[in-house]
Amino acid sequence: MSDPQADASRSAPLPHLQMVNVWKRFGEGERQTVAVRNVDLSIAPGEFVTLIGPSGCGKSTLFSMIAGLLPPDADGSVLLGGKVQQDGQLLGKVSFMPQKDLLFPWRTVLDNATLALEVEGMPKNKARARAEALFPEFGLKGFERHYPHQLSGGMRQRVALMRTFLFERDLILLDEPFGALDALTRAMMQRWLLDIWAKHRRTVLFITHDIDEAIFLGDKVVVMTARPGTVKCEERITLPRPRDGDIVTTPEFTSIKRKLLAIVEEESMKTFAAAS
Amino acid sequence: MNLSALARSPYASVVYVAVAWLVLVPLFSISPRYLPPLGTVIADARSVWPDLVAGFWRTLVETVLGFVAGTILGVGFGIAFAYSRLLERALFPIFVALQTVPVIAFGAIVVIWFGNTIMAKVVIALYLAFFPVAVNTLRGLELADPQRIALMRSFGASRLQLFLKLSLPTALPNILIGMKLAVALSIAGAVVGEWFGDTVGLGVMLLQALYFEQIPRVWVLIIACGLLGTLLYGVLAILERRYVWWRPD
Repeated sequence: MSDPQADASRSAPLPHLQMVNVWKRFGEGERQTVAVRNVDLSIAPGEFVTLIGPSGCGKSTLFSMIAGLLPPDADGSVLLGGKVQQDGQLLGKVSFMPQKDLLFPWRTVLDNATLALEVEGMPKNKARARAEALFPEFGLKGFERHYPHQLSGGMRQRVALMRTFLFERDLILLDEPFGALDALTRAMMQRWLLDIWAKHRRTVLFITHDIDEAIFLGDKVVVMTARPGTVKCEERITLPRPRDGDIVTTPEFTSIKRKLLAIVEEESMKTFAAAS
Repeated sequence: MNLSALARSPYASVVYVAVAWLVLVPLFSISPRYLPPLGTVIADARSVWPDLVAGFWRTLVETVLGFVAGTILGVGFGIAFAYSRLLERALFPIFVALQTVPVIAFGAIVVIWFGNTIMAKVVIALYLAFFPVAVNTLRGLELADPQRIALMRSFGASRLQLFLKLSLPTALPNILIGMKLAVALSIAGAVVGEWFGDTVGLGVMLLQALYFEQIPRVWVLIIACGLLGTLLYGVLAILERRYVWWRPD
């Protein structure tokens, strides 16, 4: 592994996000558990990176650290735009979407979408106008005044995504956003997300445990090891864009999938063996 | 509204009770000492109508003032407890102990402090209303989902924003539960407060009726107190349905 600092100065675009030797340990002494160890990861501006790994490999811990919700241990650092971020400094700099939609039941769809803008202090009218412009694109036109309990799972997820998009940060963190959706809705949402991404060109880090999803969406797939989690390997996906649904049956796709499947399965077996 | 919907409406149950009262008393020849005929009770109510209206109004005012003050204080302490473990540990046991003191004993002290004023009744109503609101506010605030808190923090929300945009709306359904309990207790507080001496109020009339064994009058006052409680509860229910219809998930 080469020195990431040197890498950054050599290669032309500065990585948007960089993690250097990031660790996270919980507890002390004998009872200490290591959730994440020695993670080095760098994401270029505008890149769509997907992250897969066996369950319980510390993906969510890693995410919380990038969102600024959890400080990494002192031996490593997280850099955003080339600057080291101290504890809590990342709060408000990354747009973060957790697994569940976490919509507020007392707010209308429109007011849920503007939540982050309101927190930033944008006047309500301006925030609403900005959100309303996105409704057709997110397939939610006509549902502005509805409440979350009146929507289907896929629609709720789109509202949550809109809320994330409206919080205009260069880096978007998506934690298994489609995990709870049925297969058909999920496939539609994936294609739709790629359209949105192609249009807005934000940097995306997307957690999933679905290998197809990881390959279909990503410019780069990062595979994590079993707990304590670290980066096992990175696979660059050179499949042409725009990608449509058929691509999953092409030989190129299948060969990447076969390769990644072997790696992920090896790690899953370790988790399984450790548990029993 | 069609007939079957009307028959199932809450108002219809009043009619059912009245009919049962009309039919059952003569049917089983129930002694007026246990349950006087409905006609006698209505006639008694009409005979004291001006006093009854004045008493109803006075007790209503005492109850509402005590209830509103108790709710404000209860929400205030609930919030303070939620944000300060120290305050909760120091004060909560005292409040629990205070709640176990019979209201009669506490009422005597309040009357010594404030005299036979409306203030005394309001304070007793407040004393009873305050606790359920405080407990339910605290419980409601603790229900704020940690994941939603994390989401708000990732947006860079301040503590005040977290409270106003997340914790308080999460707690509102629980606060309403506390308020519904408090409304009934406020009536009890106001009525008991009147027993320490006054000239107007449902509690005053109730005490007199008991003293002179005016059984129909006691029933008149039971119905009047029930009406008062139902009225206030109904107002709360309407407010809840309009403004606090969501449930914490």
